[in-house]
Amino acid sequence: MASPEPLVDLAGISKSFARRFLVQNRTFRLRDIDISIGRGEVVGLLGESGSGKSTVANIITRLTGFDGGRYHYRGRDVSTLTRKESFAFKSDVQIVFQDPYGSLNPRATVRSSVMESLLLHKPGLSRRERITRANRLLEEVGLNPERGDHYPHEFSGGQRQRIAIARALAVEPELLVCDEPLSSLDVSIQAQILELFVRMIRERHLTIVFISHDVNVVRLICDRVYIMNDGRIVENGPAQDVLSNPQNEYTARLLEAVY
Amino acid sequence: MDEPLLKVENVAISLRHDGRSMVAGVSFAVNEREVFGIVGESGSGKTLLTRTLFGLHDDAFLSRGSVTFAGETVPLSGYAAAMRKRLGHAIGFVLQDPFSSLNPTMRVGKQITEAIYLAKGWPMGAERTKEAAMALMSEVGIPEPKLAFDQFPDQFSGGMRQRIVFAIALSQEPKLLVADEPTTALDAITQRRVIDLILDRSRRHKLAVILISHNLELLRQSVDRIAVLYGGQLLNIVTAGEIGTRTIHPYAEALFACIPARDKRLADVRAIPGEPVAAGAARIGCAFASRCSFAEAVCREAPLPVNPGAAATFSACLLGRGVH
Amino acid sequence: MLQAVLAVPRAALSFPRNGVEKAAIVIAILIVLLAVLGVWLAPFDPLKINFRGKLEPPSFTHLLGTDGSGRDVLSRLLYGAQLTLASTFLVLAVIVAVGCAIGIFSAFIGGVVDNLLMRLADIWLGFPPLILAFGFAAALGASLQAAIWALFFSWWPTYARLTRMVTVDILSQKFMASADALGVPVHRKILNYVIPNAFDVLIVQATLDVSAVMLAISGLSFIGVGAQIPTPEWGAMIADGRSYVANGWWIVLAPGLAIFLTALAFNVIGDMLRRELDPTSSRRQ
Repeated sequence: MASPEPLVDLAGISKSFARRFLVQNRTFRLRDIDISIGRGEVVGLLGESGSGKSTVANIITRLTGFDGGRYHYRGRDVSTLTRKESFAFKSDVQIVFQDPYGSLNPRATVRSSVMESLLLHKPGLSRRERITRANRLLEEVGLNPERGDHYPHEFSGGQRQRIAIARALAVEPELLVCDEPLSSLDVSIQAQILELFVRMIRERHLTIVFISHDVNVVRLICDRVYIMNDGRIVENGPAQDVLSNPQNEYTARLLEAVY
Repeated sequence: MDEPLLKVENVAISLRHDGRSMVAGVSFAVNEREVFGIVGESGSGKTLLTRTLFGLHDDAFLSRGSVTFAGETVPLSGYAAAMRKRLGHAIGFVLQDPFSSLNPTMRVGKQITEAIYLAKGWPMGAERTKEAAMALMSEVGIPEPKLAFDQFPDQFSGGMRQRIVFAIALSQEPKLLVADEPTTALDAITQRRVIDLILDRSRRHKLAVILISHNLELLRQSVDRIAVLYGGQLLNIVTAGEIGTRTIHPYAEALFACIPARDKRLADVRAIPGEPVAAGAARIGCAFASRCSFAEAVCREAPLPVNPGAAATFSACLLGRGVH
Repeated sequence: MLQAVLAVPRAALSFPRNGVEKAAIVIAILIVLLAVLGVWLAPFDPLKINFRGKLEPPSFTHLLGTDGSGRDVLSRLLYGAQLTLASTFLVLAVIVAVGCAIGIFSAFIGGVVDNLLMRLADIWLGFPPLILAFGFAAALGASLQAAIWALFFSWWPTYARLTRMVTVDILSQKFMASADALGVPVHRKILNYVIPNAFDVLIVQATLDVSAVMLAISGLSFIGVGAQIPTPEWGAMIADGRSYVANGWWIVLAPGLAIFLTALAFNVIGDMLRRELDPTSSRRQ
């Protein structure tokens, strides 16, 4: 149920940067990006690698800036946020990355990685309370909290992704950006993590931006979808409509190619 | 022809440095003109199996079983070298990453003519060999072969490079093409094109294909039969059409059930609990028993059946599920 | 950070793979112990001259004999252990601390400053350390102190460059992006992310440099710009004993062997650490 004012409002966003393509540097241009995400929605960003979808993810989470256009979050222009507000923004918007093998500090125990989120964004908690909460979060994502003292390399890819999700959820974000969270996982584990996402969305009333190249997954969980190609949005609309009845030629070709 | 092109019977693969058995009891046969798929998740042993089977794995060897190719049985001792001799002219290989399969400092046309030469010498002379190479390039869909001939691999996109690799493999007119995850690094549209290309070629040229992938849905739509590997064991060989229509091995069924596909709804996708089991752990019984919803005591205690005679379809289920 | 750093010694117990490595660890520990306790174990005053008892071969009283001025070699060796090792570790501590600080700063700040700092380090590395040593000897008078200062100044760029390279590599990893997404402040990034992940590489380099630094100090003393006689620094002892090689071979042999064994032990340990901590190998726990 989308509320009248969108949570995320990207209008005319553009960004140019040099990107290494094979052995040369080429300029990659993101342009005319208009995306609006309402509270409670699960919005998909579908495109091939190189389409710019990860860049959009980074712009939404403010991990990277943009050259042109405007970005309003909850009605506020993000470029006007003060330092303190920018820090508070990080407890509103979190991200889960694609690569479970690289996204956790290899030298920090799994529990301490989750506790770090709490340390930074829930300052009122005592250390004991942080430990308890971290354990509860680990349990919530399907892990045994007693293994919290172990290091990331002792866990499988799917488990590490769960840890990354726990770390993101610890700050109790409104919006969770998921950048290809399933792509590096085994087929049977993808389904598990997908189930976890579905459960989290339901239980925590999360708003999700789901970035993927997998049409079938997007079809399953997204309410609306934006199709991206070569730095632009080529089509968007309710997932069911766009993915069964595409209006754009690229979308049609993409859907036809999918197994 | 009645005799299969490749017959693998009760093969086991062990590691060189400690003799540990990683894959065991694998039997299957591939016929001429057939497109045969092998599916497995990480740890299933599918890469180990296919590399070792074709003499390309330095750290593993065939410790048991028999392999017959084009009517000749390849002896176990000196297996890798004997198989490698066949590579290039009888067996072609297409690997996952096209960039590392191509020599980045050699023009692509030359790489193809070199391959032809290695297989056949220069019986046609340099000029005719070059023409043959260019004909091949246009056949695999590389535009403007005359221009492309003199270019370097990095000037092509991933999909084009994969076609070049394919052209090299085909140039030696193999009887069998082994494609190991040939499209994983490619985008969906290109992936479909490369798979279609492989299938089309196979049909037109009496070429058998072994297509290895982690994507069961891709195989289901593309190949004739599929071998399902898990934890170093061959659990199922099915015809593509059986999947989703008849009872097959519980793991194959569970794998199919957890894939989001075109016509499935969210409720139809059912995850398999637990983690994939890795090949190499010493075990009795079925590797999937720990995650199987049908598992009973016998599944953990009895030795796994191994498809004697390399029958066309096979299920290793100790409870008889999927067995015809 | 502390947790990560302390985890290493526990893991280290499983490192040695053969007799040579185990022996190296034992020798290194023994030498460090001797350096610490030696001064209490020494039977004689290392500086006490006794011309009547000079050039005595090893005996029960003087286990390693006496030198050209009648001083007990064993006592000098023990005091020398403390001097040589203390100066070695002091030099290492300073160059690692300063070099790493500069390297981390350079990696974080990036851009022009990073470039300039690293080019400066490159140029600095080109200075022959020997010239610097002569310079310090001229300014401060040849002494162990002078040698130490010379090494401080000539060796920090190595660690600056190494740390900068490792830090840049760490900063490019996805878990740093995750830290950014969380808003982890810079000081915490350095303490909890960079240092624990850089630790492996640094400890390997530092261990291998123990012998290099020690040889440098002894070497400088040997050629006369470092510790001067009668200071019982091992290199100086060898210089002193040079004149007596024919009829007082023990005077040179003792410190020579000591240097050799120490350098070898730490090198073996350094190689072992490199093999075990190589980030390209899959981690085993």
